[in-house]
Amino acid sequence: MNALFAIRKLVLYCATVAPRPVSLGLAMTLLTASMVIPGRAQVVDGRQLVKAQLVADTQHIEPGQKFRLGVLYTIVPKWHIYWKYAGDAGIPTQIDWQLPPGFRADALQWPLPTRDQEPGGLEVFDYNEEVLLFTEVQAPDQLPTGPIELAAKSNWLVCERECVPGDAQLSLTLNGGGQGPANQDIFSKYSASLPKAVSPAGYSLSMKPSGSQMVVEFAGVPQGSRLDFFPVPPENVVLNHGKQAGNSVVLSVDGGAALERLKGVAVVQVNGKTDAFDVELQTSGHAAANAGGVSADLLGVLQAVAFALVGGLILNVMPCVLPVISLKIFGFVSEAGERPDKAFRLALVFSAGIMSCFAVLAAIVTFFRAVGAEVGWGFQFQDYRFVLVIACLVFAFALNLFGVFELTVSARATGGLAKLAAGGGYGGAFFQGTFATILATPCTAPFLGTASAFAFTQPAWATFLIFFSIGIGMALPYLLLAIQPKWLRYLPKPGSWMVRLKQVLGFLLLATLLWLNWIVGRLRGVDGMVELGGLLLIIGILAWIKGSFWTPVSSGRSRALAALAMVAVLGISIGSYFFVTAPSKIPWQAFSQQSLDKALQSGRPIFVDFTADWCLTCKANERFALDSAAVRGAFTQQQVVVLRADWTHGDPEITQILKEHGRAGVPMYLFYPGGKDRPPVVLPELISPQTVLDAMKASSQTVVDARKAS
Amino acid sequence: MTIRNLCLVFGMLALSAGASLAGVEVGQPAPDFGLPDTKGGTHQLSQYKGKWVVLEWYNPDCPFVRKHYGSGNMQALQKEFTAKGVIWLSIDSSAPGQEGNYPADKLNEIASSQGSARTALLLDPDGKVGHEYGAKTTPDMYIINPEGNLVYEGAIDSKPSTALADIKTATNYVKIALDSSLSGKSFSQTVTRPYGCSVKYAQ
Repeated sequence: MNALFAIRKLVLYCATVAPRPVSLGLAMTLLTASMVIPGRAQVVDGRQLVKAQLVADTQHIEPGQKFRLGVLYTIVPKWHIYWKYAGDAGIPTQIDWQLPPGFRADALQWPLPTRDQEPGGLEVFDYNEEVLLFTEVQAPDQLPTGPIELAAKSNWLVCERECVPGDAQLSLTLNGGGQGPANQDIFSKYSASLPKAVSPAGYSLSMKPSGSQMVVEFAGVPQGSRLDFFPVPPENVVLNHGKQAGNSVVLSVDGGAALERLKGVAVVQVNGKTDAFDVELQTSGHAAANAGGVSADLLGVLQAVAFALVGGLILNVMPCVLPVISLKIFGFVSEAGERPDKAFRLALVFSAGIMSCFAVLAAIVTFFRAVGAEVGWGFQFQDYRFVLVIACLVFAFALNLFGVFELTVSARATGGLAKLAAGGGYGGAFFQGTFATILATPCTAPFLGTASAFAFTQPAWATFLIFFSIGIGMALPYLLLAIQPKWLRYLPKPGSWMVRLKQVLGFLLLATLLWLNWIVGRLRGVDGMVELGGLLLIIGILAWIKGSFWTPVSSGRSRALAALAMVAVLGISIGSYFFVTAPSKIPWQAFSQQSLDKALQSGRPIFVDFTADWCLTCKANERFALDSAAVRGAFTQQQVVVLRADWTHGDPEITQILKEHGRAGVPMYLFYPGGKDRPPVVLPELISPQTVLDAMKASSQTVVDARKAS
Repeated sequence: MTIRNLCLVFGMLALSAGASLAGVEVGQPAPDFGLPDTKGGTHQLSQYKGKWVVLEWYNPDCPFVRKHYGSGNMQALQKEFTAKGVIWLSIDSSAPGQEGNYPADKLNEIASSQGSARTALLLDPDGKVGHEYGAKTTPDMYIINPEGNLVYEGAIDSKPSTALADIKTATNYVKIALDSSLSGKSFSQTVTRPYGCSVKYAQ
């Protein structure tokens, strides 16, 4: 066994490196023996490790036609040769085509490799057993008569527990009389395992650095998909192993090299189906699908435009937009009753509002992508402040529909304002167009998902084009009304039913508000929802003041008072918001029996605040009494240990102590004057700064008295 | 959104915890280690503070290593730079039973037949130091400055192949890095992708 091992080593040694004098004789013998097979023999333990064979998909090359030419590698079991990026070790298999003049070979096609582990946590991308690496060859228009010889030289490294380099000079003669296709089974098998040039519809990838890691994120893939990413890093960039983490594949980059671009093959496996596709990622944007040239992209854009038009049209009946759009139709109805020509112009302006809003959206998307941020359809709803503003607008709209207040143009308005007033609701119509669009964005209608997903991966001009198409689709009904004002006749006549309908639409808007509130809750939690509630309350009050005391018929005095009241409401609201949300300036420590015992041992005085988030009295006491300058000063001066016992979720330990002091709930305030044996003073439920100070003073007095007595 | 990010964070934590190839980073201190050599001595990296140190991952049977020893390329580098006071430590991380794992005597024999001019050949059969440095291939080269910080990691040269002829036309990154470092100049290729056989760690 040992001798065999040694001979094997020697053969390997001689096969790869210039023979050294010591082993020259033996090596010469071995080399001569292996000359039979072209290139380096790679015979280990009597087996030829890799057999390489040049194959074509035809027996006869036609002038000016394309055919496929490849090298078929047959590898002995357990050994492997490498993909175009080998991974941690190994080197890519290499083919140099040697074709007659006029023949042109395309880029080499690499079937999807496997990700294999080597001992010690090394990982490689390789082929086992068999693989066909092939290319498309363009034959020249003029072909010589008679047989044509095609040749290729291939180098590879084949590894199992050890590595052996190999090469072969290969040749193949075609046009030797045979006709028709050849090797169809092999070519169709390996064509099927090639990564696709374009990503499947709806999938998109992006990449962003995170420390020394690179995160490749998959969007639009079904839940539970198995994801993989085979990188083809630029020269001298070392990538460590990709691992799936949620919807991402995390790669780490050696040396922290910042990668700006990364090519690779993405793999999505779901429901027994495997999608592998080429991608080229950029840190400053989304994956640009590696489509085959401009024409394919253009085709994609045209398809996306068609989808966008249909999707935009459907947006009109989606639940997010329907209430606002209905409003608009309703507006047309009332206008059309009086002045059809005005209705026509209103429809145009409304459409313009929609379009301009889409233009702004496209510009924002383009801008953010240029600076490297990630945006998707409805991205603005990821910022809760935006949602708050929209929610306020929706609520104000609803109040308006309920008749709480009317929007009127001031009679005293002059100049431009007067013109605007005379022009009626043009400004309003424009605004409603933009408003409808903003509300529409979170609603993905059928067809729209495909179109917008595509738009986000395209250059700026295509993004604009697709967004505009959505806008045109959405504005289409109104544009039609504008072009054919006669059709307005088919809309119902104005009447008292409009008041009722308005109210119904108002409730629809309130339903929209429910959904917005849910978004705020998801983004900001309970606090965010309460903030929104507060804002709506204020808007309600302001709208009521406006509607009741600031109407076109109210007196100047009434208006002045109304304005004053509005300012007061706003001032009080903002003031109390900051007052309520300001964090406590006292360095509270969490209460537990243990922390209390420890504090007692230190001999310092202790103040314990038993509180709960839902206890309004507690909050008021903390704000007005405990957080007052006087009490804070006293706490610091006497080095009081301040403990806060939070009973929001009903801690049994705290319940026990409450019981011990005869209380069923919070608030409760205990002051331990210091010293182990001094019992605590229980303060009343409602405290003022003075109550606290008095209690502290009195109890320290008793301590002093007690000391005197003892 | 939040849940997805959470998954990501956990994924990364799991990754960093489970990463077997810890690796080192250029500009950071090179981890200290102590290893026996083939001649009965031991070497502590920290004992060479104040000197330039080259670490060369080595496996005598790897065709890529043989390319650089068979051509005399590696020995020439060792000779040139050890003469200039550089400490050259070759490290064999092949596990017992794997390719390139030999008793010390055998390795000494190979070394003298190859005419190596390294400072020492260190034995790391459990792969501990190899893993700590994230050595992946043989050869895999690291250069450490007198302050003990890593200044280069990666390939020996720019042509990943086993062909002897490539040595002449390749850019030798290690030579450039050492020449520049010793003459106080900076160099641009501080991280390159190593090429070669995988280090033959334990199964």
